[in-house]
Amino acid sequence: MATLLVEIVTPETALWTGEAGALMARSSEGQFTILPEHTALVGDLVPGVVRVTTTTGELSFVVHGGFFQVGPGDEGVTRATVLAGVAERLEEIDVARAQAAKEAAELTLTSLSDEAEVARAEAVAALGRAETRLRARTSAASK
Amino acid sequence: MAGGQERILRQRIKSVNATRKITKAMELIAASQIARSQARITANRPYREGMQRIIREAASADPAAARKMLATPEHVDTAIVLVIVGDRGLSGAYNSSVLRAAERLVHMLQHQGTTVRLFAVGKKAPAYFRFRGFDLEQSFVGFADRPSFADARLVASRVAAPFVAGEAQQVLLVSTRFYSAGSQSVESQQLLPLSMPSDLEVAPSTGLKGYTEFEPEVERLLSELAPKALESEVFSALLEGAASFHTSQQRAMAAATDNADELGQTLTRIMNRARQDSITTEIMEIVSGAEALRSGK
Repeated sequence: MATLLVEIVTPETALWTGEAGALMARSSEGQFTILPEHTALVGDLVPGVVRVTTTTGELSFVVHGGFFQVGPGDEGVTRATVLAGVAERLEEIDVARAQAAKEAAELTLTSLSDEAEVARAEAVAALGRAETRLRARTSAASK
Repeated sequence: MAGGQERILRQRIKSVNATRKITKAMELIAASQIARSQARITANRPYREGMQRIIREAASADPAAARKMLATPEHVDTAIVLVIVGDRGLSGAYNSSVLRAAERLVHMLQHQGTTVRLFAVGKKAPAYFRFRGFDLEQSFVGFADRPSFADARLVASRVAAPFVAGEAQQVLLVSTRFYSAGSQSVESQQLLPLSMPSDLEVAPSTGLKGYTEFEPEVERLLSELAPKALESEVFSALLEGAASFHTSQQRAMAAATDNADELGQTLTRIMNRARQDSITTEIMEIVSGAEALRSGK
């Protein structure tokens, strides 16, 4: 039987590895689904939710941008690797903390002068991460 | 009298033993940190290799675009040198060998007419470079022992900024690579432009060449990959630097403990000898005093 082996990897740890029925995520070109036997594919991921369907249910991960590679592994296994600088389980997101981080980043942005380019870029990135977390939680709650 | 010498020796032995206790404790702490930092290197490996696999996949699909992004520049006016050392000393030659290698590299680049901009991780770098009159543009301290990916991201964005702005054509790294607990070496490598991961120990993808699809197209994908790959390389260099630091410190502290043991033993022997001497002298005095009294009768 064709299987899909999914790995969700961050620089600090392999977040999740296991067999799955499908992998759903969003690249810069749009939403896509990877099923077993998918053709070799390499692409990027926009910040958002990566969904993995397993026999025991659906798992959701929030990635803050990243890349993925799909390719044949050993003996009929299709390997899908998701590489993300920062990723976490959807249910582990602390909404209050994300909200606080968002406000802190917004405050930093308004107080920074235009010359502090690097600091500005960091604040924008932090704001982006906070917003991704909040959006992922809100859309999960509304379902 | 000889008792004075004995007291001095006793004090020295006490201080040697106290030092030994400290070095022993540091040795044990470093040993536990080695295991932890090695585990972090292992945990980082899937990400790093995955990153290199994707770059290789993309680069082999469109070599022309890859050459544009990844080639070594023909002319380098300004180079950025990033040095990774520790925040603390008492770690044998760990800091000084990296710093000396960095100094040599800077001299070599300057000799070729290249302007060098220095960046450093670790508290030991500013002290070294300031003393030698080098201008250290920016130093990052406080995380050399336990670097997080956020730290790597910060360092990567700072060293990449002049490169992206076109002010520098090359970013070089001098750090200690950790191969195993018994083998580490100081190495310099090019961070930007990204070097082709051809010589790296990544298993080639088993996919059929030319049949991989890309989303978005290779050139854009490569330009997105470059900053992330830089973060990944900086992170692994930080992790390996930390592991090397702990290994080096453990070894240095083990040697210091051995030395303290030896010194303590030698001093104890000298002290026993001095005590014996003073006892002998006292007995001699008593005996000869008694002898004098008896013969005087």
